[in-house]
Amino acid sequence: MKGTYIGEFEELVLLTVGILFDDAYGLAIVDELEKQTGRNIMMSAVHKALVRLEEKGYLKSRLGGAAETRGGRNKRLYLLTQAGKKVVQESRDMRNTMWKQIPKIVWEGGKL
Amino acid sequence: MSKHQPPRWAERFFRWYCNDHLGEAVLGDFIELYERRCRRIGKRRADLLFIWNVITFLQPFAIRKRSATQTYPIAMFQNNLKIAWRSMRRQKMYTAIKIGGFALGLATCMLIALYIRHELNYDQHYVAKDRIYRLYNEYHADKLEMWTSFPASAAKIIKADYPEVEKTGRLIPYEWFDGGNNLIRRDDQGENTYEEGFAYADQTLLEILEVPMVYGNPLHALDKPNTMVISRKIADKYFPNQDPTGRTIILDDDPKKAYTIGAVMEDFPTTSHLHYDFLLTLTEVEFWKGEQDSWCCWNYNVYIKLRPGTDVAALEEKLLRMRDAHHVAYLEKEGDKSAADVRKNHHYRLQHVSDIHLRSASIYDAVPRGDIRYIWLFGAIACFILSLACINFINLSTAKSANRAKEVGLRKVVGSLRGYLVRQFLTESILYSVVSFILAIAMVWLALPYFNILAGKTLIVPWASWWLAPVLIGSALFVGVLAGMYPSFYLSSFRPIEVLKGSLRQGARSSGLRSAMVVFQFTTSIVLIIGTFIIYRQMSFILGAKLGFNKDHVVMIQGASTIKNQKTFKEELRGLSQVKNVTGSSYLPVHGTTRDQNGFWIDGKQKEEKSIGAQHWNVDDQYLATMGIKLIEGRNLDANIASDTSAIVINQSMARSLGLTKPIGARIANWRAWTVVGVIEDFHFESLKEKIGPLCLTRGEWGSIIAVKVNGADMQGALQSLTKTWNRFMPNQPFRYTFLDESYARMYDDVKRTGNIFACFAILAIIVACLGLFALSAFMAEQRTKEISIRLVLGASINSIFRLLTQNFLKLVGISFLLAAPLAWYLMRSWLNDYAYRTELTWDVFAISGIIAVTIALLTVSYQSIRAALANPAQSLRSE
Repeated sequence: MKGTYIGEFEELVLLTVGILFDDAYGLAIVDELEKQTGRNIMMSAVHKALVRLEEKGYLKSRLGGAAETRGGRNKRLYLLTQAGKKVVQESRDMRNTMWKQIPKIVWEGGKL
Repeated sequence: MSKHQPPRWAERFFRWYCNDHLGEAVLGDFIELYERRCRRIGKRRADLLFIWNVITFLQPFAIRKRSATQTYPIAMFQNNLKIAWRSMRRQKMYTAIKIGGFALGLATCMLIALYIRHELNYDQHYVAKDRIYRLYNEYHADKLEMWTSFPASAAKIIKADYPEVEKTGRLIPYEWFDGGNNLIRRDDQGENTYEEGFAYADQTLLEILEVPMVYGNPLHALDKPNTMVISRKIADKYFPNQDPTGRTIILDDDPKKAYTIGAVMEDFPTTSHLHYDFLLTLTEVEFWKGEQDSWCCWNYNVYIKLRPGTDVAALEEKLLRMRDAHHVAYLEKEGDKSAADVRKNHHYRLQHVSDIHLRSASIYDAVPRGDIRYIWLFGAIACFILSLACINFINLSTAKSANRAKEVGLRKVVGSLRGYLVRQFLTESILYSVVSFILAIAMVWLALPYFNILAGKTLIVPWASWWLAPVLIGSALFVGVLAGMYPSFYLSSFRPIEVLKGSLRQGARSSGLRSAMVVFQFTTSIVLIIGTFIIYRQMSFILGAKLGFNKDHVVMIQGASTIKNQKTFKEELRGLSQVKNVTGSSYLPVHGTTRDQNGFWIDGKQKEEKSIGAQHWNVDDQYLATMGIKLIEGRNLDANIASDTSAIVINQSMARSLGLTKPIGARIANWRAWTVVGVIEDFHFESLKEKIGPLCLTRGEWGSIIAVKVNGADMQGALQSLTKTWNRFMPNQPFRYTFLDESYARMYDDVKRTGNIFACFAILAIIVACLGLFALSAFMAEQRTKEISIRLVLGASINSIFRLLTQNFLKLVGISFLLAAPLAWYLMRSWLNDYAYRTELTWDVFAISGIIAVTIALLTVSYQSIRAALANPAQSLRSE
């Protein structure tokens, strides 16, 4: 395994997959990310991240959910794996630990 | 729901590049997005955005990897080989025909390639070959005439006047004075031996042609008077194991013709346009008084070595200065009217040394040479025979495709991609090709000695050359791929469903193409057959042509120049019972005897008219009787009439050329005046390629050849008596003779050779074509086994079955004949145009060739057909 490091965008994608749970596929993820972040998200960037995360073992996928609106084509539906859950968990834990170490004064005073 | 369609091409492009893992889902995403956009912002902008999506998705992670599944090339290759080997073994006959035909074609190609390589290698071995040239004349008046002889002083003048010339060297390649052949002996030995290959040359010629020396100083080999250079071969023969430089050799038993050996040269390489064993020096030679400085007589070939960087065209232009200062000046001084013509039409040209062998067809010289046209012809034939062999391969592979179709179908079903199948079939055909190559090399090795005899060459396979193995392997692969290309793409294109359902009409597809290939094969074969026939026809025409002299039962006693008392010798011979007639002359109407070309005029017109070129032969008064030449007008030369020393007998052609309507009594002149006493019928004294030229005979009592007309009934006895008489006169010189008719036939060795080579090619082509036809007919019969059985059961006669199976092939051969006949007619007409006297192209040659082709094809096909027709129908129907 290529280490447990994931980038910011990847983390966002993982979280979105978690949010969408049963209907996490390319376009839905793009929509959700745009809604959540307010940024303009490239479709290709999302798919690229999905492929990478699947390769790293944080996601698994299956085909399904074909719909008329998609020209009768299947979706590739993504789910978090145990490792995927663990890695977002760890990421949050680490942030929390680091948050806690920031002295209060930083938030209160702010003037030097 | 109204369906909007995104741009088709973009969708297709996406599907082409995107891998299977993402392809469908992402395209679905794109379309979903597209639908949404269509509703919101309209189709046009949605289209543009769709395209934008597709283009931005073109990134490494999304691109299809061309080999999606991992393979193990070596294992696959081994497997392919194994399959190929199995399919080869399963069908022994087809395999044998495929490989055998292929090997035969390849062997032919290799031999021809060796031959062509040899021909193209002529005169490539000089270090300074880019700077070595031969001078030749170009006279372009009504027609273009080119020849290589120059006056003695031309070489000297060019060397002195033109600074761009580094060296000039002269050669006299003619059978002239001591050139040609001679009897020789060491000065310390008595016995004379006949040798050929004498020529006169300058020391500088040796330097220009970079002749390597075994013994002696290469810079002083011929620079002293009366010296000669001999080849290693001759040195080994006469002076075994010693250095012969400084020793003396005597020509024609004449002490005045004693030559000191200046050096021993290596034998000329086989790829040199010159082949001499004796080079006599030209140092201080003057054949007659003033000869060396006069521009009267043109007898020398001139070789030139230029300084580096010389512009040849410019030099040719500058050589006109020499023409005007010497040639034209000489003619004007002599009052010759042709001076103006010369100034207008005569040019001196330079020919590159490596062009001499193949590109001198229209230049008159005395050097035997090849012909670039034959190189093209043989090259073309090699390609044709190779393509015949390739066609067999393709035809058989596609014909037998039915047997492989199931295999292909099953392989595809279990996941083989087309590429793998193509690779598999290519491996197979390369295997065939490699096996055929090995076989072909063995064939070449075995056949080379015979081919050498056939082609009159000394070719060797360059086993030791570093490039041989790579070239062979490379061409084996290339030919394998070439021949396997079509079958492999054809076979791998089968659709598994059709094949496995059994709906593929077995091998029926591409039968049109197969027919076309059979037609091609037989067209080639028939052209070659017709060509062979016509060449042989021309050969027998030449040998049987009415020559104007009788060449049968004439013994030519060679080396008579050494006989001190020829007259008595001739008298003695005449006394023999088997001898009909005897004549002594150096001039006979076959190659290898002396020639003497002179300019003739009507006496008194020397200054006004251009001379006509004529052969001037010295003969005795028995010449006409011995050779059987017919006298038409006047009388023969007579030894008893004293004034006949200035009498001349001319041939009809000469009378015509001089415009003599009443030739008897006319006065004509070359370097002296003669009176015409008789006219003889034209006879062929040169090759039949040329028109009979002017010729005249004057009296001479001496000749290097004694021609004896003997009684044909007892040739053995006649030869014995001749030998006995000879030995009495010349105990120190072996009796040597040739027959006139054999010498004549030898003049046409090249025609005979071409004929034989053509015959071989024709036979090879027809064998290859028939192998293919045989296999095809076997296949057809096999295909239709059930049909034939049912026909037989229903009462078809063997005859009708036979017809059913053969008529199709015969139709193809018929078409081939229709194509081949005009083609062969055209080609052979242009070949015959080389001959001034030639056989007619008659329809029977074509008819016979056609019948031969049909018969051979019929025989080939009928074996299989008869076998099919005679088979017991129960056997093949039982399984149903």
